[in-house]
Amino acid sequence: MNNKSVLLSRKIFLRGTGVALAMPWFETFAADGSGGDETPKRFVSIYHPDGVGLPLKSDPAWKDWSWFPQGGETDFELTKVLEVLEPLRSDITIYSGLSHPAVRKVHGHSNADQYLTGAATGGHGLYKNSISLDQVYAEHAGKYTRHSSLVMSTNGGVGGPRGAQTQSFNREGRPIPAMNKPKQLFNTLFVTSSKDAAARLARSKSALDLLIDNTRSLRRQLSGHDQETLKQYIDAVRDTEVKLTKAQKWIDTPTPVVDTGNLHLDAEPKEARLYFQTMYELIYLAFLSDSTRVATFQLGRENGEGPHDLLSMAVGLGGAHGLTHEVKKPDGWKNLGTYNRYQAEEFGRFAQRLKDTPEPNGNGNMLDNTFAMHGSASSSFHLSRNYPIISAGGKNLGFTNGRYLKFGQGNEDNQAGAGIVTDAGWRGKIEAEELPLAQLFVTILQRLGVETDSFAGYSGTLNRV
Amino acid sequence: MNTKSPMKTLNITILLVLGSASIVLAAEDQQNPATLEMARESGRTKSRFLKKTQADTTATSAIPTANVAYFQKSVGPILNKSCLACHGPETSEGRLRIDELNPDLLTGADVGQWREIYNVLSNSEMPPEDEPDYALADSDRGNIVDWLSDELNKASVIRRSNKEHSSFRRLTKYEYNYALQDLLRLPYALADNLPPETASADGFKNSSELLQMSTMQFETYREIGLKALRRATVSGERPKPVTYIISMQDQMNKAVSGNEDKTFDRNDESYSKNRKRQHLFDRETGKGIHFSSGKSTPQPDAVVEQSPAVSPVVLAVPRNNELKLNLDRFLPDEGIMRVRIRAGRSTMNADEYASLRLVFSAHTSNNANFSQVVSERDIPVTASADDPQFIHFDIPLGDIQRNPFRKLTTTFPRRDEFLHIRNVSNAGGGDEALQVHIDYIEISAPFYQQWPPKIHTDIFVDSDRSDERIYGREVLTRFLRRVWRRPVASQQVDQFMTLFAEYRPGFSSFEDAMLEVLATALATPEFLYLTQRAASGAAATSDTISELELASRLSIFLWSSIPDSELLTLAEQRKLREPEILSAQINRMLADRRSRRFSQNFVQQWLGMDGLNSVVHVTDDSLKEAMQEEPIAFFDEVLRRNLSIIDFIHSDFAMVNERLARHYGIPGVHGPHFRNVSIQPQTKRGGLLTCAAVLTMNSDGKDSHPLKRGVWMLERILHDPPPPPPPNVPEVDLTDPEILKMTLKERIADHRNKPACLSCHSRIDPWGIAFEEYDAVGTYRTRIKNQAVDATSQLFNSQTLAGIDGLKRYLLTDRQDQLARAMVHKMTAYALGRPLSFGDHADIDSLTTQFRTQGDRLGDLVHLIISSNIFNAR
Repeated sequence: MNNKSVLLSRKIFLRGTGVALAMPWFETFAADGSGGDETPKRFVSIYHPDGVGLPLKSDPAWKDWSWFPQGGETDFELTKVLEVLEPLRSDITIYSGLSHPAVRKVHGHSNADQYLTGAATGGHGLYKNSISLDQVYAEHAGKYTRHSSLVMSTNGGVGGPRGAQTQSFNREGRPIPAMNKPKQLFNTLFVTSSKDAAARLARSKSALDLLIDNTRSLRRQLSGHDQETLKQYIDAVRDTEVKLTKAQKWIDTPTPVVDTGNLHLDAEPKEARLYFQTMYELIYLAFLSDSTRVATFQLGRENGEGPHDLLSMAVGLGGAHGLTHEVKKPDGWKNLGTYNRYQAEEFGRFAQRLKDTPEPNGNGNMLDNTFAMHGSASSSFHLSRNYPIISAGGKNLGFTNGRYLKFGQGNEDNQAGAGIVTDAGWRGKIEAEELPLAQLFVTILQRLGVETDSFAGYSGTLNRV
Repeated sequence: MNTKSPMKTLNITILLVLGSASIVLAAEDQQNPATLEMARESGRTKSRFLKKTQADTTATSAIPTANVAYFQKSVGPILNKSCLACHGPETSEGRLRIDELNPDLLTGADVGQWREIYNVLSNSEMPPEDEPDYALADSDRGNIVDWLSDELNKASVIRRSNKEHSSFRRLTKYEYNYALQDLLRLPYALADNLPPETASADGFKNSSELLQMSTMQFETYREIGLKALRRATVSGERPKPVTYIISMQDQMNKAVSGNEDKTFDRNDESYSKNRKRQHLFDRETGKGIHFSSGKSTPQPDAVVEQSPAVSPVVLAVPRNNELKLNLDRFLPDEGIMRVRIRAGRSTMNADEYASLRLVFSAHTSNNANFSQVVSERDIPVTASADDPQFIHFDIPLGDIQRNPFRKLTTTFPRRDEFLHIRNVSNAGGGDEALQVHIDYIEISAPFYQQWPPKIHTDIFVDSDRSDERIYGREVLTRFLRRVWRRPVASQQVDQFMTLFAEYRPGFSSFEDAMLEVLATALATPEFLYLTQRAASGAAATSDTISELELASRLSIFLWSSIPDSELLTLAEQRKLREPEILSAQINRMLADRRSRRFSQNFVQQWLGMDGLNSVVHVTDDSLKEAMQEEPIAFFDEVLRRNLSIIDFIHSDFAMVNERLARHYGIPGVHGPHFRNVSIQPQTKRGGLLTCAAVLTMNSDGKDSHPLKRGVWMLERILHDPPPPPPPNVPEVDLTDPEILKMTLKERIADHRNKPACLSCHSRIDPWGIAFEEYDAVGTYRTRIKNQAVDATSQLFNSQTLAGIDGLKRYLLTDRQDQLARAMVHKMTAYALGRPLSFGDHADIDSLTTQFRTQGDRLGDLVHLIISSNIFNAR
C-alpha cells in the first residue's frame, strides 16, 4: 500500500535502549483513507496529587523552592524544583492561571476526579462526572490502534467518588479502571490472549448476519419513505460489521514482540524509581509500537495512603502526602520541592526518550508528534486553583515551546493562596481571575485533529498557546 | 426542514397599533363579561366549529373542486374594500398583495398565504381596529372565513395522499426503556446509556423526522438488551441472602449498657428538649437515650420476611432526622436489597405527615465521599405507632453508587457502606410534634420473592426441557411474540434457532446461550421501531394500518410502551377495531397506572418542561420538584375526570401539594402528594398558564422574561409560533445609561420600536407582558421594586390585555377555537409521532369540530383521536 509499511514490517533495533521491538503492521486503515497511515498524533497526561510548593515571597524558601518559574514568557528562570527540565527547555511549556471553574472552592483532595473532565464533581452528596479529555481523543484516534487508550495509575482500579484512582472517564462519566501492575500492562499490550475475544466476535458476526436478514424481510413490506428510514438502521448494522472486521484483524495480527530483558515488570511502587521508569517505559513502548495513541497515568491518589506514599521514598523522604502538610517545618518547602523535582525529573526522562526516538512512521521525533501533559488539580495546600501544569512536545501539532505562559489576572507572581497551611486557605475568597483549563483542552483537541469548539461546557480556545 | 412551521408565511407584517388605548379599554369594559366563568360561556357561543354542519367537515368521496365562483362574487370584493389599501399595488405591507393571490386553493400556489389570512381573520387580528374606514362587518368576516375554511379543507384533502411525514419511527429513549421494563418486568431505569432525543419544533421527542439511528446507538441497544436479560434471569441454586436484623430493643440494650447516666425519662422536666433529638425510647417505661447511628453485621441464620411481635422499644425519629446504619462491606454486588421497616406515627394529627426516604453513602477517605438518595420515592408512614406496619423499599444494588473499596483486604481506604433512613416530614416543632417510631428493621440482599423468580420463568417457561431444540423453540416463540408484538411464523423462529445451535457449544448452560439469542431479538428493527407495513393482496389499496399495528400505536400513545397480552390477543383476533371493544380498551388503558407515563411525557414535551431543568435560581429542591409535578398532575386530573381543556386556561381549582400551596399562599394543604384544591380568584391561579413551572422556566434567573413567556404562549398554547429572529438583531445595549433607567416593560417597548424588531415583537411581547404580575419564581406580585406592576399590554389588533385576568378573559372570550384546535393538533402530533402538515389540516379540523361539539373534554379527545382516520392510517 505504501512504502512506510514495508519499512515497518522489519525489526527495528533501537540502539541505546536495549529493547528490540518487532512490529507487525497491517494496512487495515490505509485503505479507507481514514488517516491511519499518517504520522500518529499522541496524547498523554500525567497527574500527580497534592499540588506543589508555593511559599510566600517573604519566605526564604521562595527563591529556590517555589514551583512556578520566575520571570517572563521566554526569559523565565526555573527554580530548583523544575531545573531538571532545563535541558528540555525548548521542548516544554509551563502554564499558570488555569483551573476548572466548577470546583475552585472544593477541597483539593476531592479533585483528581475532574482534572481531565472539568465536571462539577463537588465536595459531597450526589456524584456525577463527565468524559475526560483523553477519552474524547480516544474516541477519535482509537480506531487506528489495537487499544483505544491506556489507563494507568499507581494505585489502580477506579478509586472512589471524589477519591479517583484513574484519570479517565467515559462518555457517561463513569470511571475507567486503571492498571497499576507493569506485568499486567505488558501482557495487555504485548501478550494478548485472544481466544475469548475471537469467540465473542464470531458470535457478534452471526448475530449481525441474522439482523440484516431479518431487516431485509421487513424492508420489503415498507413504503419507499419508510425504507429510507430503515436504511439508517441497516447502515448502523453494516458499520458495526466493519468495526468487527477491524477487531478481527487485530486478533489475527500478532502483537509486537518486545524483548523484556531490560524491563522490570515486577517493579513495585516501593521501588519508586524503578517502578516509575518501568511504567513510563511501557507508555513509550505502547506509543512506539502504535498500540495506542492515548495514555493517562495517575501518580498516587489524593490524600495519600497505599502505594502513593511510597513514591517519595525514591528521594529518601517520608509519606508523599505528609510532605504537603509539613512545609512549615524545617526544610519543609525544600522536601516538598525535592519530591516535585523528582516527579519532573521522571517526566523529563520520558520526554527525552520520545525526543531521542525518530518517528517510526513520519516526521521528526516522537516527541514532536506527542502532546505530553504533567500536572495537578491543586497548587498550594488543598487549594483547587492555579493548577501547576507542564506540557512537553507537540511541535508538529502546532505547539510552540520554550515558554512560561501566564493566564488570568491578578496573580502574576503566583502569590494568591501561597504559603497556606490551613483549611481556611482552600475555602478562601477567589481574588485572582483564572481562565478555564477546558479552553486549553479545546486547543489540544483541535490540534490533535478533533473537530470541536467546546469542552465540558466551555467554548473557545486559549490564546497564545 | 428546520423552519419552525413550514406552512407559515412570514412575510405578513402586522401593524403595531399605538395610541388610543384608553378609549378602547373603556369600550371593552362595557362588553366584557363580569367573571371568567361568564367569559368562558360567552366565548363558546362564538365558536366557528360549533356552527359547522357535519357536511362541512367530512370530506366527501367525490373529487373536490375549487369554488372560485364564490370568490369572484363575494369574497374578492370584500377583500378589495377592506384590505387592498395596505396590501395592494400602492402599499404592500408584509409584502402581501391581496390582489395577486390565486383564489384557486386546490391547484394554485398561494395556499400558505391564504392560511395566514384565514388565521388573522378568524382571530380578528385584521384589519387593525384603529382603521375604521376599513373595518370588516361581522357577516363579511364570517363569509370570508367560511369560504376559506372550506377551500382549505378541500386543498388539504387533496394533499393528504402525498404524505410528507410518516409515523414509521424508532422508539424514543424513554419508550424503549419502558418497553424493556414491561417486557422483562424490571422496575428500574435500563436505558440511561442511550443518547437523549432532540425535540421537534412542536417540542415533541417522538417525532419521526428526528429519531435517527447511529452505529453507537445500535451498539448500545445490543449491550443494554443483553445486560437487561441477564438481570431478569437467574442460574443455579437460590443464593443465600445477606441479612441484617436491627431490633431497637437490642440497640437500646447496647446503648444503655454502661451509659445509664445518659438515659432520660418522659417524666423529666427536660424531656421535651430530649424528645426533639433522635432517640431510642421505651414506650412502656418512658425511658429514652439519644441515638443517631448504628452498626450492624449480617446474621448468618436470619430468616427473612419475619414479623416478630411489636416491641415497646422504638427509635423515635423527629422530622428531618435520620438513622445512619453502618452495614460494613457485606452487601452483594448485584440483586435487590429489600429494606423492611416497621414504623408508625407518634400522633395522627391530619395536618402532619411523615414519610421515609433511603440514602446510601460511603466515606472512603478524607474528602472522598458520596451520598445518593436511592429510594425512588418517599413512602408515607400512615399507621399509628400503637399498631405499626411494615414499609418496604427494593433497591437494585448493581445500579447505585457503591463503595469501590469494599473488597479491599486492607482497611484503608475505608470499606464500609452506610444506609440512612430519613424521616421526611412537615411536622411542627411543638412538644407533641409528629415523629416516626421504628421498632424493627430488616435488610436482605439479594432478595427474591420466589425461586426461580417470576421474571425468570416468564422467559424460561416451566415446560419439558428434555430436548433443547423443542424447548428452545418454545422459549423463542413466546419471547418473539412479545418483542415483535405479533404472532411469529415458524420459519422466523428457525432463524433464531440456527443462531442458538451455533452459540450453544460455547456455553455451559442452555440459558446462557439462549440469552445471547434473545438479546439479538431485542436488537431487531421490529422491536426498536414502530412498524407500519404496506398492505398486500386484497387490501393493497387501503391505507389503514393492521390491528396489530394499531395495538402498538395505541400502547405507545397511552403507555409509552409495548402492548400487553390482552391488547395483543384482541388484535390477533381482529376484534380491537370493534368500537365498543376499542373504547373499553382505551378506558382500561387509561385506568392502568402505565397511563401516567402519557400524562408525564406528553405534558413535559408539550409544555417544554425540560426548560425547568436548566433553571438554577430555584434552590429549594422540594419546590422545584413540586413545580415539575404540578402541570402533569393538573393534566392528569383533567384527563381522569374528563374535564374541558378550557380548564387549562382557567380553572376554579389548583393541583398542589404542601410545598407548592405554601408558594402560592393556599392554606390548609398538608403533605407531599398532589390533590385538587378549590381556589378563590384572588389566589391568581387556576389552569396551566400560571403554574410556577411555566413562569419560572420562562424567566432569566433574576426577573421575569416577558419575551420568553410570550414566545411560550404562542408556541405551546396557541400553536402560532413566531418566526425565528432575523440574523442581525441589535442587542439591547445595557451599557447605555438611558436604557438602564427604563423599566423592563419600557426597555421592551424601546427595543420593539426598532424597525428590525417591530414586526415580530409586536406579536410576541404583549402576551408576555400580561404575565408581569408574576416574578421569576412565579410568585404573584403587585409591585416591582418601588413601582406598581404594569402588566397591561396591547395586542397588535388593539386588544388590551390587562394582566393575567385580562389575558385569560381575552383567550376565553375570543380564542377558544384556536385553543381547542391547538390542543387537537398537539395531541395528534404526539399520538402519531410525526409532524403534521397541510395534508392533515382537514382531519384536524374535523377532529376539532367533534371535540368542541362534545364539550372540549380531554378524555373524549383521546377517544376521538384513537378512533379517527388519521390515527388508523399509515
